[in-house]
Amino acid sequence: MMYRDTFSSFHPTVNFLFFGLVFAFSMFIMHPVMLVISLTAALMYAVYLDGKRTLMFCLKFLLPMTLAAAIINPAFSHEGMTILRYLPSGNPLTLESIIYGISAAVMLGAVTLWFRCYTAVMTSDKFVYLFGKFIPSLSLVLSMTLRFVPKFMSQLEAVRDTQFCIGRDVSNGSIFRRIKNAVTIVSIMITWSLENAVETAESMKSRGYGLKGRTAFSIYRFDSRDKTALTWLIFCGVFLICGILAKGLKWRYFPSIKGTLTEPFTICFFIVYFFLCMTPIIIDRREDKIWRSLRSKI
Amino acid sequence: MKRIKIFPVFICIMFLLCGCDLKGGKNYQGTMEIPENGIVDVSIFKQIKDDSAVVTFKGNSNGCDYEWVIFGDDIPEPKTLNLAVEINEKQEERSSGLSFRSEDGFGFAPVLSVHLNSNWDCQNATVYDSGNKAVCGASVTGSENSIINFSVDNSVGEFIVRADNESENAPIIAETPTETKASPVSTETKNTKTDPYLTPVEPDTPNAVTGGGNRVISDGSATEQDKYKTDPVPEGRPMPVEPEDTQIDSSKTYTCTFSIECSTILNNLAELNPEKIDVLPADGIILPACEVQFYEGESVYDVLQRICKENNIHMEASWTPIYNSAYVEGINNLYEFDCGSLSGWMYRVNGWYPNYGCSRYQLTDGETVEWRYTCDLGNDVGGGYAVSGT
Repeated sequence: MMYRDTFSSFHPTVNFLFFGLVFAFSMFIMHPVMLVISLTAALMYAVYLDGKRTLMFCLKFLLPMTLAAAIINPAFSHEGMTILRYLPSGNPLTLESIIYGISAAVMLGAVTLWFRCYTAVMTSDKFVYLFGKFIPSLSLVLSMTLRFVPKFMSQLEAVRDTQFCIGRDVSNGSIFRRIKNAVTIVSIMITWSLENAVETAESMKSRGYGLKGRTAFSIYRFDSRDKTALTWLIFCGVFLICGILAKGLKWRYFPSIKGTLTEPFTICFFIVYFFLCMTPIIIDRREDKIWRSLRSKI
Repeated sequence: MKRIKIFPVFICIMFLLCGCDLKGGKNYQGTMEIPENGIVDVSIFKQIKDDSAVVTFKGNSNGCDYEWVIFGDDIPEPKTLNLAVEINEKQEERSSGLSFRSEDGFGFAPVLSVHLNSNWDCQNATVYDSGNKAVCGASVTGSENSIINFSVDNSVGEFIVRADNESENAPIIAETPTETKASPVSTETKNTKTDPYLTPVEPDTPNAVTGGGNRVISDGSATEQDKYKTDPVPEGRPMPVEPEDTQIDSSKTYTCTFSIECSTILNNLAELNPEKIDVLPADGIILPACEVQFYEGESVYDVLQRICKENNIHMEASWTPIYNSAYVEGINNLYEFDCGSLSGWMYRVNGWYPNYGCSRYQLTDGETVEWRYTCDLGNDVGGGYAVSGT
């Protein structure tokens, strides 16, 4: 079986736990240092997995989106003690709301990038393997939904190419002709997706999916390296949750910016979080190094 | 993988060595009882100062509860203090005698809140010393029984608090006309005159213009809401003026008295959003009463906005089309709902809380505007009627 990278070849539990932790911490901890760590690691891993395509995605989509989020926030939120100037509406423009906007944008970017990595690593078979036993119908629906967008896009491309070949693309003819062609393509796509969903569901049903006593075939093995990785992830999770409960990662933006930053206690959490986020990259790099050294020996 | 296993151990050791010692700004640390003899030891004040804590000291005298709100940051030099106060309330006279048992001054002026057993039915009081000289003003809050909040610089000896007689509380009916030729405001009066709720202004009176424009006074005969959902304005109170009908004439300037205060929060510290204790003034006064200038045609909101800008006080408001007025969400970073779900900002002009938005109250010369923070939908600042409409 071909995997995208070494981390993908780990047991699905390890993969899923890693992403679960990273999503939760990225979304719930608004500490700026934690956000920067998360963003950096997410960007590095996404580039490792996808290379140039990730960079293009960042430039075309992520950068404008984050910039917009950073600009829009101070236009609507006026709380904060440091007044920079006054907006035309008469409300103050505050430093705190700008910084909060940037932090929210960084969080948005980090979570988007982590989701990109997630779709590459957590393939639908892994997801169904993990949850097929407990919640069969939900895991099927989830995996179908998650798969839907990329599948729809590739099908759309195929249909458009076909229509283009017979001269019925949106780029042919007068405006009315083009609209008519576009409507036809949309209609084809809707019919296809409905039919596709029904077909998938029926085929799963005919194979007895979710029936009592049925086992799921899996090629996943939980070996010692998975054990080590799982221990490490659980340790990080517990450690960071303790940190949040002990208010070691406290940060507030309003009314003035204040939080823990240089306490040795807090720095411990930064280090642990950094290594947690970098786990897949460290594993991949190590494996690459071993592979290269083995090859050079041949 | 060996290295990864060593790492957690290393972190755990660091964790144990550093411990959990985090300090983060001011924090409210609850209430402490004042002992029988009133003496609170220096060690307690030192602790409060070191923690930048905010602590309420609670005591009782002759059936009246009293509270000192002490901000650790204000303590110049921790020392043993006697916080006991003897309170003699005279309900009929609406006054109360206070005698402080401490022998020398505190060196700082914490706010003393006295919970009376009666309702003084006023919003302001004055503190007099034994020589009957006014020392400072006090704000009166409280929903059922009055709470007097004030801070005296030198809290030694005897003091008397008396309720202020609010003469301006009486409805304003008589308006002294001054000479003004057809101003843009007078044309505006003609438009509003068609409104059936309004008292007709006698056409013969040559431009019945007072200090800040042609004010129309309610005769109390209206029974229905106007188109901006305002309940009938009580008799003798000014009718709302729509901001879009008004032109500001910057050639005519007048003065009014303006103040912003939030002493109700000091009585409800337990409910305050803990993040906001940093912006809470220790005496509850954001802007002490001061004379400010305004131009003809300006509303309470216009003046508030300018005053806040000039004094570098944060203020956020949002325009609410349904009430045709700006809604003040927060002043000095103290927002609505920051001190309980019934909290927010209210304004009071000449002793009356208008039942319409602050952009629709056009100011006239010499009026007194007070912005007060309520923690109980206006009931604790004597303005519940403006909210409930009764």
